Amino acid sequence: MAVNMESSLGPLRLRHPIINASGTFDVLAADRVLAADLFADFPFAAYVPKTVTLKPREGNPPPRLYETAAGLLNSIGLANKGIDAFIADDLPRLGRLPVPLIASIAAEETDGYGRCAGMLDGHDEVAALELNVSCPNVELDGKALGCDPDLTARATAQARAATGKFLIVKLTPNVTDILALAHAAVEAGADCLSVINTVHGMVLDPWTLKPALGHVTGGLSGPAIKPVALRAVYLISRELDVPVIGMGGATSANDVLEFMAAGATAVAVGTASFRDPLLAAPLVQELGRQMELRGIASPEQLVGRSH
Amino acid sequence: METVPAQADLYQCSVVESRTVGAYHLIAFVAGEIAAVARPGQFVMIRQSGPALDPLLPRPMGIHDVEADLVKVLIEPVGKGTVVLTDARVGDRFSVLGPLGNGFDLSGEGPAVIVGGGVGVAPLALLAGTLAGRGRDIRCLLGFKTRVQAVAAGLFRDVDVDICTEDGTMGRKGVVSDLLAECLIGLGPAAAGVELFTCGPGAMMRAVVDAARECGADAQVSVATHMACGVGACQGCVVRVDGEYRCACNQGPVFRAGELEWR
Repeated sequence: MAVNMESSLGPLRLRHPIINASGTFDVLAADRVLAADLFADFPFAAYVPKTVTLKPREGNPPPRLYETAAGLLNSIGLANKGIDAFIADDLPRLGRLPVPLIASIAAEETDGYGRCAGMLDGHDEVAALELNVSCPNVELDGKALGCDPDLTARATAQARAATGKFLIVKLTPNVTDILALAHAAVEAGADCLSVINTVHGMVLDPWTLKPALGHVTGGLSGPAIKPVALRAVYLISRELDVPVIGMGGATSANDVLEFMAAGATAVAVGTASFRDPLLAAPLVQELGRQMELRGIASPEQLVGRSH
Repeated sequence: METVPAQADLYQCSVVESRTVGAYHLIAFVAGEIAAVARPGQFVMIRQSGPALDPLLPRPMGIHDVEADLVKVLIEPVGKGTVVLTDARVGDRFSVLGPLGNGFDLSGEGPAVIVGGGVGVAPLALLAGTLAGRGRDIRCLLGFKTRVQAVAAGLFRDVDVDICTEDGTMGRKGVVSDLLAECLIGLGPAAAGVELFTCGPGAMMRAVVDAARECGADAQVSVATHMACGVGACQGCVVRVDGEYRCACNQGPVFRAGELEWR
């Protein structure tokens, strides 16, 4: 049986259903280090760069990383060069990628989402926008606006008004009812949901018994959070009629199968790229093999199979 | 630091040597492509091959030495990841990404003083051998807490090393910054023309940098930080350089002493 891996995510045509999670694969940095020709042979089906904000952010004080049991706790703090430098320096180069570009944006104030979306709207290199609503928000005393359905809806509506591009909202799991956030985003104009961002967590240094991260708390990613992500994908995709990008610990082909069977149209690989920055190509191959073994001829036959 | 060409790749490598060296563990694996191009001060990201998810991520290890098609690393078992690596047996497979980082700038020609502390001596062995091979006048000053660590000084081939231990169980009793101070005083005005290379605990490197500044010598510092990706993606391994955060992985791990800010 021949497996056709081609997928669609709204208007985006994908060669296969595996993309990268924002902040975990930097093609411009990797291209300077790795021998592989990533621009000619880009392994993911779409590229999501690191989140950019209106103004540059230097990020949180180190240490920013601590490995946990099958997971990684990070507090990078959305370090980025700002959207102006992103547009001037990175976009022209990212436009050469042979896959759709999904720009990830965040803002410290709700209005900033509209401004960022508007600044990218005229750039043809950008196929879609992903709103990272886990940025510390000034209106919420530094809490992520993604924890609040009203502010999430406002940020989404602002971006919706500023762009006609395919609009993705990346939900945080650090809420009581993630379905309420999903509804709020979709009702405000989101075309698609990324599910999930990192899970709040903390690590103490076992010797000093003090917080191991400079920022004290951080976001947990990696295989440890996969069941949390899978549940959210399942609940949201059963109830809402927008495509879902599943993410949170996907590392193996079987993980990708599970996310898609839970309802994800595409799956983003994040922390697993830190294990192996070149894992996507063999992962796609293995996914095809595993689909064939199960008699699944295409991604469409797989999406939501568990429902 | 020198920029290196984009040449890192992921290799599955067989372990051919795995042995205790005092408090540390030496592992040699077959990685001809890395051995052929590795520069002193570069590092590799290594983990045991296979699907096990704990430890999850590879660990950055300075390239301690290369010999024909072998790459050697020296590991101090301090946490989950490093302990698992030191359990490796001959024939085990490592997943190895490298070579990574910019390494030391070797363009200087004057006398060099290499100052290492603890497991930080690991990448300095390849540096010392390379500089000696180029005919540069070098001195190696290595400091350890105690004898069980100091046996690692035996890994420095073909170069003379001065050793000190804090408890006096091997070499001189004291800390390596004392050895450095004596060395620089002995050189008199010529000390300003010396180039220092250092890797080790933060407090030790800071003392080295202070000593270099006092006598007007240049110093290159190799930092060790927690890393996730090793290739500039995660932004997790930052140090403060010239007033901003820079990744140790792809903008270091070697920095000029003058540009590095100490916390």
